[in-house]
Amino acid sequence: MASACCSDNEPAFTEEYLKNIVPYYTKLMPLPKLYEWFGYGNPEIFAKREISFTLSNDVYIRYQSFDSFEEFFNEIKKKAPVKIDIGAIYKTKPKIKALGFELTATRKDLVFDIDISDYDDVRTCCNGAGICNKCWKFMAIATKIISAVLKEDFNYEHILWVFSGRRGIHCWVADRHARELTNEVRSAMTEYFNLLKDGNKTKKVVLTGRIHKKIYERAIKIIDEYFMDILEEQDLLGTDLRLRKFLDMIDKGVRKQFQKSMTAVKCSVERWEAFEQTFTELQESDDLKTLKEEIKLQYTYPRLDVHVTRSLDHLLKTPFCVHPKTEKICIPFEAEKVDDFDLEKVPTLSKVIEELKTYDEREDTLPLGLNDYQKTSLTQHIELLERFVNNLEKDDKMKY
Amino acid sequence: MDTNARRRRVHTTVEDTEATLYNHDLSLYPKFPCSEIPLSEFEELAIDRVQLFRIIEQASLKGHKYFSDEWKKCIKDDMMKNNLKKFVRLLSGFNGQTELDIQARRADHISHFILRIAYCRSEELRKWFLARELEWFKIKFVSNSTPSILKFLQLNELNYQTISNEEKEDLKESLIVCTPGMNDVQVMMSEFYKVPFLDVWTLVQKRRVFLKEGYAYIPINDLVVSIQSTFRTTLSSKLVLMNRNLPNLDDERLSNLLCNLHQAYTGNEYTVSNDKDAINPADIDEYSKKHYPLCMRNLHETLRANHHLKHYGRLIYGLFLKAIGLKYEQFIEFWRSEFTKTMDTDAFNKNHLYNFNHQFGKVGKRVNYSPYSCMKIIMSNVGAGDAHCCPFRHFDVGRLRAKISECGAPSEGVSEIMQLVNNGHYQIACTKYFQYTHPQPSSNTINHPNQYFEESMNLVKDKTEKIVS
Ligand code: SF4
Ligand SMILES: [Zn+2]
Repeated sequence: MASACCSDNEPAFTEEYLKNIVPYYTKLMPLPKLYEWFGYGNPEIFAKREISFTLSNDVYIRYQSFDSFEEFFNEIKKKAPVKIDIGAIYKTKPKIKALGFELTATRKDLVFDIDISDYDDVRTCCNGAGICNKCWKFMAIATKIISAVLKEDFNYEHILWVFSGRRGIHCWVADRHARELTNEVRSAMTEYFNLLKDGNKTKKVVLTGRIHKKIYERAIKIIDEYFMDILEEQDLLGTDLRLRKFLDMIDKGVRKQFQKSMTAVKCSVERWEAFEQTFTELQESDDLKTLKEEIKLQYTYPRLDVHVTRSLDHLLKTPFCVHPKTEKICIPFEAEKVDDFDLEKVPTLSKVIEELKTYDEREDTLPLGLNDYQKTSLTQHIELLERFVNNLEKDDKMKY
Repeated sequence: MDTNARRRRVHTTVEDTEATLYNHDLSLYPKFPCSEIPLSEFEELAIDRVQLFRIIEQASLKGHKYFSDEWKKCIKDDMMKNNLKKFVRLLSGFNGQTELDIQARRADHISHFILRIAYCRSEELRKWFLARELEWFKIKFVSNSTPSILKFLQLNELNYQTISNEEKEDLKESLIVCTPGMNDVQVMMSEFYKVPFLDVWTLVQKRRVFLKEGYAYIPINDLVVSIQSTFRTTLSSKLVLMNRNLPNLDDERLSNLLCNLHQAYTGNEYTVSNDKDAINPADIDEYSKKHYPLCMRNLHETLRANHHLKHYGRLIYGLFLKAIGLKYEQFIEFWRSEFTKTMDTDAFNKNHLYNFNHQFGKVGKRVNYSPYSCMKIIMSNVGAGDAHCCPFRHFDVGRLRAKISECGAPSEGVSEIMQLVNNGHYQIACTKYFQYTHPQPSSNTINHPNQYFEESMNLVKDKTEKIVS
């Protein structure tokens, strides 16, 4: 169900994009800071990290590695990739793969990837790669729930949230402990986390004994901040078809009663209220267990792309890349302020280049000595990255 | 075959008495054994442990749910059937201190180390071995009572941190909802341990544990998961290390045993029953084509072609023939008529007759020798000019491929069989070969040439019986 405007394969670079991308890499993208992060402050580690490029002619180059910042930087300038992906740190430099050596991945940040298109059976405002501030609420829920699990259950603190530039969000966990997790454990963690069953089941969440209260109660609390808004904005129960889908999740034995009360009214909010009322009435006689929670979770619980998390050698787009189609920049954001995130205001390539130009053309260029990025709307996002990397380095030094 | 003439000496460095060394059924095998073991016992212990591990592996393959009661029962029963009583003793849960208990632990200890030497040789072997060792540890662990687990922790200096009563009170509600199989009373009554979540990630995966700030809170029974993970890490690195420093074994029999242990699918010894129908010597050529496993077919064809077999060839084929029902007189006649094609009768009588009589148990100690099992054949030393061998193990790839297609395996079967051979599954390859050359598969994995023969004959009998009735 791709949206009409764009498919993933057609190269659609404007001339402007091609003109701006190299100046962006050289002047604005915080490559030195990213370099620090990806090598965890150690050039020898960076030299073993896989970096891949997607070129404007759609050629995809994997298993590159760079021995120094200069090499990394110059190659980016030279090739002007439209996308830069970061992979794992290998036992040996991944570039030797070209010579026919086998590679073993040893470390990588723990990553999570959530795509809004995975919510297409719920959201009604957009579909496919489209995303608007209404569907951002699903992303907000995901951000909060995942952050809570990572901090409260696993004690991780070096977490960076990033808007992917198009249709989703990425979460990077860089604690040393997290970097060293094996594939097995990463996979186990996704299972711990995931409450939704795969496949085309009508009912994707069943809270059996194996999914204990502690996990879903925390999630429900977060979901409840958004649920009524989503219900209304997405008009979740506004048509007969949507109502039927909703009723399908309810056990046959009691479905009739719900159907009766819910069809008696028309709009989503009224229908939900009818549901709640019937729920309370029936709860005493029938054992409805956690039906209400299950329904909420089914609509809004984070839908992870588990493949990205599970394996060490999976690549993920580098923050601050420019999405070639939307021209939006892949910017970090603060989890606590996820509700204030405005998709309309995400800096784009042409905008930041323009900002830089305007600034430099001003008569008074005070204060002096600003970095180029500080002249643009990237500032706060780059500062976020800097804080993240500096804290990480401090912690690495302190603890190890 | 020599039995226990040679002994291996392992230097004693620690003066533990067996009673203090072997005082608990559970062990993480921290120290190398330091006693002298006759080679025959060495061999026996190695095979016993492989057999134990195969039994454990089989239980899951048979479809029993992992660590369910049926699974455990199936393992115990199979252990009893296969004469592994000493290992069953380690599952009693009593932690007895009798001589028998100590001997059982000694066997457990020594066999563990023998298998380390045998299984450190490749990634694949290490993986299999590790998985079974961990299962074996857990089976023993779950049989133990709480006091004896505590004793084990203490003996092994495993200092797991229990949480204080105040902390438990604080976390009470979470512990109750997150710890399966425990109600509030049980939670309050039992000790909880606090371990890094990574140590029990399998519990995390199943959400069977309460997590807080990177720690998992587990009751004593779940400690096994954490101990297993430590055990896995140490054992795994020790195996890798051992592989690097593997000594050159000058003893051929020993190195043969160790190199081939895993390929040997231990099966029951085949016993010759006396009420077997006699076979007609005139049928042997036909049988060899239709009902013999490849090893025996190879021996038979070599004998017909050369009118001679070397020592082990004569022994292995002879015992096989006896076991399929060739009677004594005909047995002697069979060899005589073939051998005398190249030598005169006197020479045969002088050089070979005694040996054949001995084989049949007619002279000397009058032992009723058992025919060779697959395991023995697969592990035997095959020199140039020897016809005794397991073709799946000993033929080179081209020769084997040609032979099995000559014998009637269809081409898709040939590649499937070759694939199995490639992965070292010789007996499974033989089982497949049976399947491709018979109207229906054998009822069990082939572990004995005589079993192969019998299963093959049964298919014919079934048919004739059906025709008759
Ligand atoms: S697997 Fe056993 S029966 Fe089959 S050929 Fe080898 S030794 Fe003979
Ligand atoms: Zn939308």
